[in-house]
Amino acid sequence: MSDIRKWFMKQHDKGNASAPAKPAKSATLPPEKPVEKPLQAQAVQENSGRRKTSKYFATAADADTSSKQKMKDEAKTKRAPARKTSEVFADEDDNDFKPSPAKKLHKDEDDAFVLPNEKKKTTPVRPAKKLKNAAGVGVAKHSVDDEDDNEEDELALEDVETPVKAGGRGKGGRGSGAAAGGRGRGGGRGGRGGFMNFGERKDPPHKGEKEVPEGAPDCLSGLTFVISGTLDSLEREEAEDLIKRHGGRVTGSVSKKTNYLLADEDIGGNKSKKAKELGTTILTEDGLFDMIRKSKPVKVSPQKDLKKQITGKADGSQVKSSPSKRDTKGISDDQSSSLIKRGAVGSAHKRKSGDGNSLTWTEKYRPKVPNDIVGNQSIIKQLHDWLARWHEQFLYIGHKGKGKKQNDSGFKKAVLISGSPGIGKSTSAKLVSQMLGFKTIEVNASDSRGKADSKILKGIGGSTSNCIKEFVNNEALSHTKDRSKHPKSVLIMDEVDGMSAGDRGGVADLIASIKISKIPIICICNDRYSQKLKSLINYCLPLNFRKPTKQQMAKRLMQIASAEGLQVNEIALEELADRVNGDIRMALNQLQYMSFSQSVLEYDDIKRRLLASAKDEDISPFTAVDKLFGFNGGKLRMDERIDLCMSDPDLVPLIIQENYINYRPTSIGKDENGVKRMNLLARAAESIADGDVVNVQIRRYRQWQLSQAGSFASCIVPAALMHGNRETFESGERNFNRFGGWLGKNSTTGKNLRLLEDVHVHVLASQESSLDRETLRLDYVPLILKQLTDPLRVLPKDAAVQKVVEFMDAYSLSQEDFDTIVELSKFQGHPNPMDGIQPAVKAALTKAYKQGSSTRHVRVADLITLPGQKKAPKKRIAAILEPDENGLLEENGGTSLDGEEEDSSDTNDAGDGIDPDNDKKPQFDLLNNKSKGIQVQLDLKNNDKPNAKKTPPASKPRGSASTEKRGGLGKRRR
Amino acid sequence: MLWVDKYRPRTLDKIIVHDEIAQNLKKLVSEQDCPHLLFYGPPGSGKKTLIMALLKQMFGPGAEKVKLENKPWKIDAGSRTIELELTTLSSTHHIELNPSDAGFQDRYIVQEIIKDMAKIRPLDAKGKKGFKVLLLNQVDKLSREAQHSLRRTMEKYSASCRLILCCNSSSRVTEAIRSRCLNVRVNAPTHEQIVKVLEFIAKKESLQLPPGFAARIASQSNRNLRRAILSFETCRVQQYPFTANQAISPLDWEQYVSEIASDIMKEQSPKRLFLVRGKLYELLVNCIPPEIILKKLLSELLKKLDFELKHEVCHWAAYYEHKMRMGQKAIFHIEAFVAKFMSIYKSFLIATFG
Repeated sequence: MSDIRKWFMKQHDKGNASAPAKPAKSATLPPEKPVEKPLQAQAVQENSGRRKTSKYFATAADADTSSKQKMKDEAKTKRAPARKTSEVFADEDDNDFKPSPAKKLHKDEDDAFVLPNEKKKTTPVRPAKKLKNAAGVGVAKHSVDDEDDNEEDELALEDVETPVKAGGRGKGGRGSGAAAGGRGRGGGRGGRGGFMNFGERKDPPHKGEKEVPEGAPDCLSGLTFVISGTLDSLEREEAEDLIKRHGGRVTGSVSKKTNYLLADEDIGGNKSKKAKELGTTILTEDGLFDMIRKSKPVKVSPQKDLKKQITGKADGSQVKSSPSKRDTKGISDDQSSSLIKRGAVGSAHKRKSGDGNSLTWTEKYRPKVPNDIVGNQSIIKQLHDWLARWHEQFLYIGHKGKGKKQNDSGFKKAVLISGSPGIGKSTSAKLVSQMLGFKTIEVNASDSRGKADSKILKGIGGSTSNCIKEFVNNEALSHTKDRSKHPKSVLIMDEVDGMSAGDRGGVADLIASIKISKIPIICICNDRYSQKLKSLINYCLPLNFRKPTKQQMAKRLMQIASAEGLQVNEIALEELADRVNGDIRMALNQLQYMSFSQSVLEYDDIKRRLLASAKDEDISPFTAVDKLFGFNGGKLRMDERIDLCMSDPDLVPLIIQENYINYRPTSIGKDENGVKRMNLLARAAESIADGDVVNVQIRRYRQWQLSQAGSFASCIVPAALMHGNRETFESGERNFNRFGGWLGKNSTTGKNLRLLEDVHVHVLASQESSLDRETLRLDYVPLILKQLTDPLRVLPKDAAVQKVVEFMDAYSLSQEDFDTIVELSKFQGHPNPMDGIQPAVKAALTKAYKQGSSTRHVRVADLITLPGQKKAPKKRIAAILEPDENGLLEENGGTSLDGEEEDSSDTNDAGDGIDPDNDKKPQFDLLNNKSKGIQVQLDLKNNDKPNAKKTPPASKPRGSASTEKRGGLGKRRR
Repeated sequence: MLWVDKYRPRTLDKIIVHDEIAQNLKKLVSEQDCPHLLFYGPPGSGKKTLIMALLKQMFGPGAEKVKLENKPWKIDAGSRTIELELTTLSSTHHIELNPSDAGFQDRYIVQEIIKDMAKIRPLDAKGKKGFKVLLLNQVDKLSREAQHSLRRTMEKYSASCRLILCCNSSSRVTEAIRSRCLNVRVNAPTHEQIVKVLEFIAKKESLQLPPGFAARIASQSNRNLRRAILSFETCRVQQYPFTANQAISPLDWEQYVSEIASDIMKEQSPKRLFLVRGKLYELLVNCIPPEIILKKLLSELLKKLDFELKHEVCHWAAYYEHKMRMGQKAIFHIEAFVAKFMSIYKSFLIATFG
């Protein structure tokens, strides 16, 4: 580790050309590695310290003296160690680790403003420049005892500069004695954490009224707690935090291992029942406090009350942007006592690792044998077996004639290992291969893996995939007579789901390779359900790596931490394992990173360190809306709000729009007549409307750069105006956010528009009117509805039915159109238009309509599907057939007179023809099955007469009346 | 058949209401050719009737033999193909379509489909009437892009094709298009004219019309002839013989909107706003165009409003209508208007009455 620091120093030296580079040991490090910003900053600070020490490696005595000088200053130091460090850490949460040239500037600034102080204090052995550097310290203490002293000194300096902000680093570095200080820090960021969970569980009755004690950090270690019900003063999360902070373990359910059940009231739930069964001690909150208090170090901080506040808020679900300055004072006081202790502890450990190599921990502690791998042992075993049997399965068989004894037909030529990142897939593949004496060839996303060139002539000189082809083909490599001499090979295709646009045909080619392969192939991917890998799965033995449990991970992390001389308790590591979501690589990286600044890690450090990653979890749109509108909605940072909105940029605005009315804004205070609320509502509604306008720009004109403005207008502003308590309008309504109603209503509107369009087309097809859809809905529908329903209500059954059918025929409305019109005229709170119509009448109408249906043009046309037409919308066919008739008519009657004559004669005929039908009807009913056939025939007959479409199935006088009408119409139309 | 359609005049000569325009049009087309035409005027004033009669005048009875077609179109627009379905009514001489049906893709209709149709020059054996007519409805609803592409088409294919455009408001038709057309404004008929038409129909149907009844229908129709005739027939269906003081029932949706208006006036609270939202959804689901809802709602509110607020309320209605046209989710804007109104009205009430 220390060499890494050296490397930083080296970097720094490069940056500050003026400073003479120390050759020291830094040479080991690859200089081209990018420097992370915060680290570099650190480096600056360390630099001088480094220099001193390195100097002193040469002459130890020298160093000693200098350190003693510093000791003098130590009295002043108490305050505020390394606020820099904490700042650095804060930075690192937000920044991507990018090397940036701008850094130098930053450094220089730092240096510059330290300068004056420095001169006063430090021994004038060195040129000012170095001293400057020294002032920035914060982290330097790590490597050697004496350095610690240095640091104290520097801290002092720094303290003078920025007394207010001091104390950020608090407990981390301070060893066990510093628990109190650490506590303060843990609390510092808490803000009003408790409120965040408002409404989820009943509030603790004495919330925040009790003083939360502090104790030795490991006073509860080895104890397991279960929390049940509502506690007296702590939120559940707070209690959990408290226990974990003191080394205890919190589990979800009571078991034999549980030592205490933490409950203030016996709610008679499962937990307490089980606890009674098992004889678990039931502990009240006060009891817990007592336990902790007992263990408390002798020292009591004078700022107790302050700290109480702070710890009370230690929930941590909310990072305050202002890192509450007041608590720092408390810490620094404590620190004075713990400083020395800590120095001793830290340095003791550091020594050990001082001579380490330059590897990152992930490399350094990469498992060497498969058994080292955390978790998934059974799968590794499976992989091992598969690889071990591969050759006998696929190669020997071939040799023993064609007698392919397929002893295991399910045996695949390749495996597909899947699992989330950082759980050791590649490592285990490599280790297993190594163990079995395979030579591994690894191809990963950094190689182009496109389809092999068909011209294999290019051979290995060509693309990588050609190499693969060659490779898997090449028996000589893997399968010669004296195989003992040649190592067997295995091909590891890493990150196969990363094969994308660049690797055209990659997966298909891989499959082809698998088919012809003479060596085993191990494919590794993250997401086995990826669409791209669908075809690949069939050729592979799927092995799914699971995430290791946090206990497993914590165990391994513990080993590493102790090997590195890092003091950390298991609970903290479990928390870390939990936060990184099973990714052991990330856990190690984090751990290593934290080890740069602290030699003792605690629960709170890890919690704070990883807060940033915690927000990446999936937020459902409802949760997002809850948070935005919640009590604390106004206290969220803007980026947090945007994150919430962006969790689902389509759904969140809709839910907001649906629910904003229900909130009673906290900002209006007392508002007895509701004017203020109404005013806010209007503003919120306007903003939502603005959001819609922006959304149109985004979607229609693809102005995606507006999406932030869009979510601002449609979510953040309304939420900011309205956040507060949700209230219901009707009793019995559940007080939860409703799902956005717009989606449903919009789709209903769309459906109704389509139906209306059907009606419209039918009306147009009747050629009685040429109106547009809007007019149809606004003006015609009310009257049409009256025409359709009123007769049914007023007139006697037969006459009514006949009249309605006649009307429907005139506008070629179908029965569906009838329903559509009724549907469109329904309004909430108004009588249903179909009310008062006897069911018998309705049935008669249906019957009558069906009877006449075959004679109607549009209807007939509906039933025909045109060949070769993929989807045959009715309208289209209706339309196509219609002109035929016209054409026919046109041909028939060159003059309009002829046409008219024909028209009337035809209809008369039809009328005649139908009368017998009516008479026969009862008979048809008797001949059930056959009747249909006959009827169809009759219908066809009618059909042959093209103009008979509007013949009502009625008695003669009526029929003739209608024919007259038809005749009249025909005249006008022609 | 409904009276509106039954007594629709089919030739220019028979037109009663706008006989002056009809005669002018007749003269215009008697010289074999005509310019592009733009008919504009409020709904129910007789634009379509005039156009159909004009077509008949131009092409004879052949113009009335229309076929209805609903064709899917595939348009190649650069990287993607757009599939559109469009309903057209066409005879051998003219094609009628409603390009705004395609929503925001209307530009492709104008660019491709109309161009396609305009290009084909009809062959006539006698060598006369060598053009066809493209009748475009609701031009004011065309997007700006579509209108821009339209003007090129108008010039390029003017040899073979005449456009007749029909819309409610000429202000939403671009200047460029208006200047390329002969603009025909079709006024809303006056009350007297409407009464005349109603009496004419009554005579044809041999109905007894009580004095003053027709005038009442006319005044309630908001100078919309179509609506007048339709509500006349509605009255006929409801009750005959007519009585002089027979109630003329309003249209279902109009009634609903006025209910909403009185809801709003009665109480201004979040709860009421929520209720109103539900009712607005109801209207939208029943296919009432949002612009119409907003307009009607405003006029209903204005009826009951104190004088000093009218100006401000009108301003906000216009503001939100404008935004509604730019936006997509109409309900948001109508709701915003309602909320705004409630806010204004409530503070007004409190300020006035305490």
